[in-house]
Amino acid sequence: MYKREIPLLITFLSGVVAVLEYYFPTDATKNAFTVLKNWGIIIGAFALGFGAVNLFIVYGRRIRKAPSIVDRAFSAWLLFLLVVVAAVGVALTSASDQYRWIYNSIYLPLGATMYASLCFYMTAGAYKVLRARTLDSTLLLITAFLVILGNTPLSAAIWRGFFTWRMWIFDVIVSGAYRGIRIGVGIGSIVLGIRTLLGMETGYLGRR
Amino acid sequence: MVWLIPEGKLTPFITLILMWIITLISIYYGKKGKFSVRRIPGLDKIEEAVGRAVEMGRPIFDIIGMGSFTSIYAPQTVAGLSVLGYVSKLCAEKGAKLIAPQAAVDVMPVAVEIVRQSYAEAGKLDELDVDEQLPYLSGTQFAWASGIIGMAARLKPAANVMVGPFWAESMMFAETFARVGAYQVAGTARLYQLPFFAAVADYVLIGEEIFAADAYLTKDPIKIGSLFSQDVYKLVAIVLSVIGALLSTAGVKIIVDLLKK
Repeated sequence: MYKREIPLLITFLSGVVAVLEYYFPTDATKNAFTVLKNWGIIIGAFALGFGAVNLFIVYGRRIRKAPSIVDRAFSAWLLFLLVVVAAVGVALTSASDQYRWIYNSIYLPLGATMYASLCFYMTAGAYKVLRARTLDSTLLLITAFLVILGNTPLSAAIWRGFFTWRMWIFDVIVSGAYRGIRIGVGIGSIVLGIRTLLGMETGYLGRR
Repeated sequence: MVWLIPEGKLTPFITLILMWIITLISIYYGKKGKFSVRRIPGLDKIEEAVGRAVEMGRPIFDIIGMGSFTSIYAPQTVAGLSVLGYVSKLCAEKGAKLIAPQAAVDVMPVAVEIVRQSYAEAGKLDELDVDEQLPYLSGTQFAWASGIIGMAARLKPAANVMVGPFWAESMMFAETFARVGAYQVAGTARLYQLPFFAAVADYVLIGEEIFAADAYLTKDPIKIGSLFSQDVYKLVAIVLSVIGALLSTAGVKIIVDLLKK
């Protein structure tokens, strides 16, 4: 019972509180929902330790058993940085100059580099798709070509119609298709929510 | 009670009540086996993907995205977990090595429990190494992305199943796995990522199809019944859209005003 009925009851009550807070925003419902959200934050903080423990187990094992010295060095470096960042954050707070230096000088450039590499992935993906093999792919190729022309300042400077065509493609064709999918997604989410509150969707409990 | 509802939320509230009623009726008829579900090729191909991993002796990846249970993307995460349950069950039965890297610390214990349960049901719990097969990489988007890209390049998986909420990393994953020759089934309800999956993956689950995954894979008549109610709502949405467009064109705003109440 404690593995199924009690979690389902907690889910149902939490869901009811969330729905009540949205439709009947009184002090009582707002306070109840705030308590729930605070619980969520606390549980999330505990779960963070779960991730850290997993990192120590996996990379600690690699330091001991990896055949390559490079693998061992990288694993040790990862754990070292994990400890350093956590220690600086806890000891000096995340608002300290030291923590901000780590964030601005290491984390941000690395993240920006990865994000910038996305353009190469997109180019490679576009190269695969934009080939006139069938009627569908030919239409896609023509549309993509028009959108590229509409997005390029030089093309729009030569003939403003490229920009107008691009706008029409986005406002009419793309918007129409997206709205159809969006309505389906919204309805699907609501029905999944109803199934969850009714205890019919138990995948999130860790058992099927 | 109705007077407590702020302006703009009365119609959504009544709609929600009606949806509950229609869903319950659909579930009632679903129990009697009145409905069937159409084929969803992307979900059918998951078994083929696992079979490919077994034949090639290479791992299969299952990525559920980096959504958490407390965000608006929670339904997609739940859908991803349902697919993970199915993939892990097939992997345990057929002997494929499953790799499911994790990014959300609140979702990770659930994913671990699901996979553990699948292996336990197949009597192969001793073959599961949770720490290695469900590693926590990072909760930060591009650290997580680079971790998975690196794993894909090193392990050269035979297949990759991605269902859940994805952001900019979607194209990185899809392209990297395609480059190492992995057979891919991908699905998300994040609209801006769908074109990336459609461009590179072998099979795509579009939007709401991922929410139908659990019902489709388990063939549970109750869940299939609830899917029927989804079709009813879509029909209502289409009818309202057409009538609303015609009336708005004629200058009559009755439906717009009704929806704003």
